[in-house]
Amino acid sequence: MTLAYTISSSILLGPNAMGSTGSTPKARIARRLLPLAAIMLALPAGAVLAAPAFAMQAADISDDTGPQSGTLMLMHKDGSSAVPAVQLGTDMDVTVTGNIARVRVTQAFRNVSADWMEATYLYPLPEDAAVDSLKMTVGNRVIIGKIKKREEAREIYEEAMAEGKKAGLVEQLRPNMFTNSVANIGPGETVLIVIEYQMPLRQLDGTFSLRLPLVVAPRYVPPSSITGPAALDDAKAIVSAPLVDPKRGSKTNPVSISVHLDPGFVPANLDSAYHKVNIDGKGSKRTVKLAQGQVPADKDFELSWRSATADPALSLYKQQFDGSYYVMASLTPPAIDAGSGKNSFIPPREMVFVIDNSGSMSGTSMDEAKKSLIHALSTLRPQDHFNIIRFDDTLTQLFDASVPASADRIVEAKAYTETLEANGGTEMLPALIAALKDDGVTDRAATLRQVIFLTDGSISNEAEMLTAIGADKGNSRVFMVGIGSAPNGYLMSRMATMGRGIYTNIGDAAEVTAKMTKLLDMLSRPAMQDLKVSIAGNSFDLTPSTLPDLYAGEPLVLLGRSDRLEGQVTVSGHIGKVNWTRTVDLSSASESPAVAKLWARRRIDDIEADSLLGKIEYEAGEAQIAELGLRYSLVTSQTSLVAVEEARSRPEGQPLREEDLPINLPDGWDFDALLGGETAAAAIANEAHLAQLRTDKKFQLPQTATNYALRLLLGLFAFGLGLIGLTLSRRKKEV
Amino acid sequence: MKITIRTITFAASIALCTTGLAVAASGAAVPIKAKMAQALLENAYAKSVRSGEPQKPWPGADIAPVGKISLPRLGVSEIILDSGSNEAMRAGPTLVPGSAEIGAPGTSVIAAHRDTHFAFLKEVQVGDIFEVAGRDGMKMPYRVTSMKVVHADRFTVETGMTQNELALSTCYPFGSVRGGKQRYVVRAVLDASHMAEAAEQVTE
Repeated sequence: MTLAYTISSSILLGPNAMGSTGSTPKARIARRLLPLAAIMLALPAGAVLAAPAFAMQAADISDDTGPQSGTLMLMHKDGSSAVPAVQLGTDMDVTVTGNIARVRVTQAFRNVSADWMEATYLYPLPEDAAVDSLKMTVGNRVIIGKIKKREEAREIYEEAMAEGKKAGLVEQLRPNMFTNSVANIGPGETVLIVIEYQMPLRQLDGTFSLRLPLVVAPRYVPPSSITGPAALDDAKAIVSAPLVDPKRGSKTNPVSISVHLDPGFVPANLDSAYHKVNIDGKGSKRTVKLAQGQVPADKDFELSWRSATADPALSLYKQQFDGSYYVMASLTPPAIDAGSGKNSFIPPREMVFVIDNSGSMSGTSMDEAKKSLIHALSTLRPQDHFNIIRFDDTLTQLFDASVPASADRIVEAKAYTETLEANGGTEMLPALIAALKDDGVTDRAATLRQVIFLTDGSISNEAEMLTAIGADKGNSRVFMVGIGSAPNGYLMSRMATMGRGIYTNIGDAAEVTAKMTKLLDMLSRPAMQDLKVSIAGNSFDLTPSTLPDLYAGEPLVLLGRSDRLEGQVTVSGHIGKVNWTRTVDLSSASESPAVAKLWARRRIDDIEADSLLGKIEYEAGEAQIAELGLRYSLVTSQTSLVAVEEARSRPEGQPLREEDLPINLPDGWDFDALLGGETAAAAIANEAHLAQLRTDKKFQLPQTATNYALRLLLGLFAFGLGLIGLTLSRRKKEV
Repeated sequence: MKITIRTITFAASIALCTTGLAVAASGAAVPIKAKMAQALLENAYAKSVRSGEPQKPWPGADIAPVGKISLPRLGVSEIILDSGSNEAMRAGPTLVPGSAEIGAPGTSVIAAHRDTHFAFLKEVQVGDIFEVAGRDGMKMPYRVTSMKVVHADRFTVETGMTQNELALSTCYPFGSVRGGKQRYVVRAVLDASHMAEAAEQVTE
C-alpha cells in the first residue's frame, strides 16, 4: 500500500504531459520518456529514482508569491530592486468639453517573463472620477467588461483565472484609489486594459484645473483603525504594492498624456504646473502633450487655464438617460463686498494650524509645509488668536490654548516651525480632535474659528477623519493644504467639504506664496451662507443634498434628476447682510453624455457622507451604492467591472504566478527617511500590534486526491506490457 | 540451464504482470474501501452519539467519527472523522485539526478526496441545504453561500466568529490527474430560518 502510494504521487507529471498540447520542450521529452517511465514505475527501485525528477517539475512556482504578512504599514520595508515580470505602460487621453473631462486610460501589461502571470496594479484616479467602462484587448480581440457587484465580480474573475482564461478586474479601494488585476498573461504577451471615466473640472476664482494623479503615495495605517478582519484586508490591499528602490537608478511605469481642450471659450494662462508640455491649436481648441513624450508615474499632472475674456459665471448641461432627465449647473456668485469698499471689515479669527511632520513628509514636502505655515503666520493681526499643533505618531500643541497673535508669539511660533523635522508614523486623528476642541478663549459669536491642515494626507483611515469632523466640528471650519507631489485628493476635498471649508494643493516650494496668499485671502472673507435652491415647474432630486457655503470665487455645482426638464432654477444666499439671487432657465442647457453618471457619482458621495455620520445604516448605504453602481454602470466601493475571455489560454497544468506591480515613490519623497529610522520603527511597532489583533487563522488545506483511477489504469498498462513480454518469450521458445 | 535473454524477458514479464495487477488492484480497492469504511463508520457514529464517547470504527483504528454530513438533494450522506490523517482521509471526510468543532461557533474546515467522498462537491450549488450533525447527533441545516477556488497555502478563516460556518475543501480541478495547489472550497452557514424544525429532529 505504501509503495503504491509513492508510485501514484510520483507519476503526476507523465500523463499530464501527454494530455497537454505538448508545445514545451519539457512536455516533448516527458512524452518520449513515458513508456520507459511506465516500466520503471512498475519496479520499486525505479519508482524511488524517478520520484525526485518528477517532483521537481511538478513543483508549483506560485508558492513564494503573495503578500508577506507583517509588513503592514509600508508593506515592503525594503524597496523592490528586482525587475518585475510584468511591465506596465500607461497612456491617458483626455477630452475636455466645457467643464467636464472624459479620460481614457490605457494600461499595457507586458509579460517579459517565461511564466504565466497574474498582475495587480494599484493606481490613483481623481477623487470625483466616475469610472464606467472597461475593455480588455488581447491581440485583435476586444472583451468588453461588465459591471457586477464587487463580490460577484471577484468570483467571476477568480474562476476565470483558475480556468486559465484571460480576465481583467477593476476594483475601487478608495474613491481615488483603484486596482486593475489581469490574469493569465502568457509569456511574452501584452494585454491592454482600457478604462474610461468622466469628471467635473475644478473651478476656482475663474481658473479651471484638470488634475490627474499618477501615483498612489505610500499610506500609513494607524493600528487603532484595524478593528476587524475587513479593516485588516482593506489595509493590506492599499499597502500591497512594493516601492521601487531608487538605488535601482531608474523609475518605472512610464505614462504619456494628451489633453484635447475645448472649454467653449478662448483659453488663456494655459499652464501645466509640474510637467513640461507642448501646446498646439487655435481658436477655443488646444491640444496639450507632455514635452518629453513619456514621464515616470511619480507626481500629479495639473493643467489649468482661464477665459481670455470674462470669467464664465454659469454653465449648464443636460442629458436624457434611461427615462429621466439630468442637469448639471455650475453657478459662480459675483464678488460681493459685504463691507464698504476695499478696506472691508474682516472679523477677528482664531486660526489653528495643524502641521504634519510624519515620515512621509520628509524631503521637499516638509519644506513646503513649513514655508506655507510661516507665510500664514505673517498674515495674522493682533486681534486674531492662533495655535500650532504638530503631529507624527505623537502630538505637540505649541500653546496650551490659542493665544493672541502678538509680535512675540509670532516670532516664537516661526522659530518653532523652523525646528520641525519629518519623522515617524502619521496619527492624524488625535491632531484633528485636538484642533476641533474649542477652548473658548475667544468670543464665539464675533470670531471665525478656522482649522488649517498642512499635510500630504498619506493615511488609510480617511473614514475616521471624516466621521470625526462630521460628529463634532462645532464652530470650526476646516481648510486643507495638500502638500507634496502626490497628495491624497480624496482626504483633502472631503475634509474640506465636511468642514465647510476649501482646499488647495502645494506641489512645489515655488507655489507656496501664490497659493497660500490666495487661500488665506479666500478664508479671510466671509462665505456665502444659507444657500437655497428652488425650482419652478417640477421637482428635482438634487445633489449635494446639503448645500455648502461658498467662498469668494467658488462656484456652486448642482446636479439634479427629474422626470421632466423644464422651468427655472433659482439659487439664493447671502454674504453677511447682502443677499444674492440667480435664476437659470433650464431650457438653455447644452447636451452632455456625462451628466447622468456625474449625478450618480455625486449621489454616492452623499450616501457615503450620510453613512459616515450615522444618518443611515451602513448596510443600507452599501445597498444604495450598489444599486447606483449597477444602474449607471459605475465602479464604486460595492461594484466592479470585470472582463473575461471565453476561450482558455493558459494550458492546463501550467502554473500561474502572481505579482503586485511595483510603484514609484512620489517625486521629492525621501526614501531612506521613509523606510529607515523612526518611521520604519513605527511601522514595526504597528506590525507587532497588528499581529495580536489578527483575527484570521490560516489553514493548510490537505492534498485531497487518491488518483485511484490513474493507479488502476497504470497497473493494467503494466500488466498488459507483461503479457506482451510473456507472449514474446513463449514464441521464442517454440522456435 | 543457461540464463538466456528469453528467461530474463520471461521473468521480467511475470514481474510486470504481477506488479501491474497489484497496482491495479490497489487502485480499484480505493473506492471500495472508501464505501466499506463508511458502512463501518455509520455504526461507530451511531454508537458514539448514544454513548457520548468516541468509538473506534474498527480495531486498531486511530480515528473516530465526529459528525455526519448529508445533502438530501444529491442523496449524499457521509460520516466525518477526526485527526486529518491519511488513514482518516481514506475512510471519509475529516475535520481539519485546529478548526471549530462541528456545530460550534466558528468555521469547521472539512477536507475529503475529490475522487471519492467529496466528488459530489462539483454538483453543489449556492442555496443547497446540508444537514450536518456533530458529536451529539443533532442535525443542523447549513445553507451553501459560495464556491471558490483558492490556493492551498493561502486559505484563512476568521476566528472569534459567533456564526457557525462550514468550509468543505477538496482538490481542484476535479478532472485533473495531478495534485496541484488549488482547492475547491464550498462555504455554508448555519441557516437560522430552518433551525426550529431541525431542533425537533435528533438522529437515532
